[in-house]
Amino acid sequence: MLQSNPTLRHILGRAGWYFLTFLVAVTINFLLPRLGDANPIDTIMARSTGNIDQKTAREREEAYLKEFGLIEVDEKGQIVRNPDGSPVKTPLIKQFGSYLVMSLQGDLGTSILQYPKKVSEIIKTALPWTLALQLPTIVLGWIIGNLLGALAAYKRGVFDRVLYPLALLASAVPAFCVGILLVYVFGIRLEWLPAVGGYDEGMVPTLSFDFIASASYYYILPFLSIFLIVVGGQAIGMRSMCIYELGTDYVKYAKLLGIRESKILLYMFRNAMLPQLTGLALALGAMVGGALITEMIFSYPGLGMAVLTAIQGNDYPLITGCTLLVTVCVLVANFSVDILVGFLDPRIRAAQMGGK
Amino acid sequence: MSDAVLEVEDLRVHYLTRFGTRVQAVDGVSFSLKEGEILGIAGESGCGKTTLVSGCMGLYIPPLHHTSGDVRIAGKSIIGMSLEQNRKEVLGRRISMIPQGALNSLNPTRKIKDLATDMILSHDESADKRDIYERLRERFERIGLDAAHVLNAYPVQLPAGTKQRVVIGISTLLNPKVVVADEPTSALDVSTQKAVIRLLFDLMDQGIIASMLFITHELPLLRHVSSRIAVMYAGEIVELGTTEQVIFDPRQPYTKALMGSMLSAEPGQRDRKPVAIEGAPPNLAVPIKGCRFAERCPSVRPDCKETKQVIRLVAGREVRCQYAS
Amino acid sequence: MFRGLLKSPAFVVGAGLFLLTILVALFAPLFMNVDTQTRVGLAYMPPSSEHWLGTDHLGIDMVSLLIAGLRASLHVGFLAGIVATIVGTLIGVYGGYKGGLIDDVLTVATNLFLVIPSLIVLILLSSSLDEGRSLSLIALIIGCTTWTWSARAVRAQSASLRGRDHVSLARINGYGTFGIVTLHILPYLLSYIFMVFILQTATGILSEASISMLGLGPYDSVSLGKILNEAIRNEALTDGAWWAFVPAMVLVTIIAFALYVINTAMEGVFNPRLRK
Repeated sequence: MLQSNPTLRHILGRAGWYFLTFLVAVTINFLLPRLGDANPIDTIMARSTGNIDQKTAREREEAYLKEFGLIEVDEKGQIVRNPDGSPVKTPLIKQFGSYLVMSLQGDLGTSILQYPKKVSEIIKTALPWTLALQLPTIVLGWIIGNLLGALAAYKRGVFDRVLYPLALLASAVPAFCVGILLVYVFGIRLEWLPAVGGYDEGMVPTLSFDFIASASYYYILPFLSIFLIVVGGQAIGMRSMCIYELGTDYVKYAKLLGIRESKILLYMFRNAMLPQLTGLALALGAMVGGALITEMIFSYPGLGMAVLTAIQGNDYPLITGCTLLVTVCVLVANFSVDILVGFLDPRIRAAQMGGK
Repeated sequence: MSDAVLEVEDLRVHYLTRFGTRVQAVDGVSFSLKEGEILGIAGESGCGKTTLVSGCMGLYIPPLHHTSGDVRIAGKSIIGMSLEQNRKEVLGRRISMIPQGALNSLNPTRKIKDLATDMILSHDESADKRDIYERLRERFERIGLDAAHVLNAYPVQLPAGTKQRVVIGISTLLNPKVVVADEPTSALDVSTQKAVIRLLFDLMDQGIIASMLFITHELPLLRHVSSRIAVMYAGEIVELGTTEQVIFDPRQPYTKALMGSMLSAEPGQRDRKPVAIEGAPPNLAVPIKGCRFAERCPSVRPDCKETKQVIRLVAGREVRCQYAS
Repeated sequence: MFRGLLKSPAFVVGAGLFLLTILVALFAPLFMNVDTQTRVGLAYMPPSSEHWLGTDHLGIDMVSLLIAGLRASLHVGFLAGIVATIVGTLIGVYGGYKGGLIDDVLTVATNLFLVIPSLIVLILLSSSLDEGRSLSLIALIIGCTTWTWSARAVRAQSASLRGRDHVSLARINGYGTFGIVTLHILPYLLSYIFMVFILQTATGILSEASISMLGLGPYDSVSLGKILNEAIRNEALTDGAWWAFVPAMVLVTIIAFALYVINTAMEGVFNPRLRK
């Protein structure tokens, strides 16, 4: 079956590659935070104040170590000990193994900061907010940015001369700068729009009309921050692509044949879109990163804030849980765009079929 | 002449540069083309042949502008039309070009049949899609292509020779009266070149192409293909005659120099060494008084630079040189 | 070649801006008292003739902080740029020249790191190195996570040079890979690599600003990103103390913008039809 269906082969090939990337990402996620000496247990211990004697402190510490899988435990659940009484530390490989297994089951560990809350719980609350903000914004920004870029390339003249420097500025300004500026100008100085949060304080997230209205209101500034930058970047890129396409031999020939202008524009657009889509796949990682920072600036209750508070509190399980999830999202998005381009670009399709 | 397919009457075409300077790229060109004729156009790069061809096709898109003169195809003038009119009625329909570098001329993301259909629909919106496919199939078979395969293919799937035929096929789809071939074989190997030339002759024999303007810098090709040859220099025609006359018995000094520099290892020519012409063509932004070739002419005389050169009839062909004999 | 650059107004503007910031960073301490330790006033005092940009949340002179931050950020940016360019160029040139399996493996590895968001890797790395975060270490980390773009770009150039005559000749003459790469490929790519370096420096500065803003910045130095982080954490925004964050933001934007402009100008002058 695989032999006869080249599209399937292509998809499976890409899927395989993405799975490999996923494995590398998980490994990185696991290894990097453990490079330093920081011991999360120390943080918890430091937080549990009070004058407790050494023995109770040690018991507690071992209980935590056991819970976080940092020391060996036998079948009966008893701590395995060295000859000198200290618990045997779980080797890194074993930790990685259980980490992998647990992750695939959806268990990303327990948060330290918000102990005893589970990481997956925290993420489950935060993820929808992030998706609601980033997905529409990036998609819309991409579409409109490309349209503007194409228009600028085709029309030139005043439109281009106004758009180009604006877009250049928008794409060069770092993500957080736009966010901070918008917050300051519109949120604090002018007080037109809320500066902080995802919804009115005191409201409880429900699917009520009031809540959605409030959430939408708070959505505007973060949306604009990300949107403007994406539009700027895409417009610049698309404009260059379209200028290039307009100068190609096939456009010249189409004009010589007397083909309608609108048709030629369609050619230009379709052909310029393909590398833009590919470029999107590559830029997604950076876009998402920038969007996360925007979330942090606005204290928007998404993954960005979760990561930020996690960093500030040295909550390693939460940090790694969030980063893993973000990476997975980016990989999924990348994969989708990859498949999409495969379908849309006849050159790729032809190569799959084996051009004669 | 009533049976002339293309008549160019004192055509003058200029460019406007960014700074407002006017470059008179074509300065008074006249010739006519009869049905069944192939006129070869030869000249150095920058002599104005590309501009001339654009002018003949009505492609007056800024910075290119029509100065004066007329171009008539099958008796009807194409000057003075709006660009949209020109696109719909003239381009591809009355006069069509087979471009240089046909290999890149096909939109890589469009199937051949779709491109051809776009072309037909752009000239005749009411055409029926199924009829179009039949027309395409029939025409492509006529020019020796496996229509079913080629029409449904993307350019990337076709070999170079096939693509060249496809381009010829699409360019001549609407049976244009005049076909302009701009170095149509420069990127091809010898056997494919021969096949393409044969195809062009075939199409002329079949009446699909009525006449042809053939631009090339290769002497053997020029000789093999053209019935008449026009030599251009600095925006003017300097010699216009039959192939035999221009190639083997050139009278104008520039033509002589050009033929000398275009020599190939043909029998009888092997002893003569190709001679490059020193110097460069004049700047056409500045009005020129006398002969344009005077600076580089090996037989220049004192008053050549002062007297404007007009076309005379010498030895049965048109020559722009007062001292040619 | 350089004359062509100087003729481009974009280049002059960009290079001028950038040089200005470098000059300020390098020589300002000679002209004024850059003191990031002493409290010279109350928290968040607005700009005055004494302290041109007011004070921060601890009462420290803002101008001093900015200059110190500028130096740090430039330091990190350059170092990160150098590291990223070197790593990326080595991988790119080698893969591009060799082709075949080595190229495929390197490309897969590059794409791997390209897809995984570099911010994520940065966060992971920085968070684990709590107290050891010096400017240079951060620069190293940034360099090691942002090289993927250069690798791709250089690889494409290197691959296109592979088929050139002088390269084939060198191979016939018995030059080894190292020799060919250094003598026959790198010299042609120098201008391109320099452009890559410019962009990587910009990336470095922006990355540092981002990571410091999150609180993962240098442990005991001031950087522009850190200034922003402190401003947000200490509610400079809500207090309306614009001098605590706007100048830092403006500086980062100017530097990044100047570098981008320089790069675009260079692209125009060196005319890479090589781009694809």
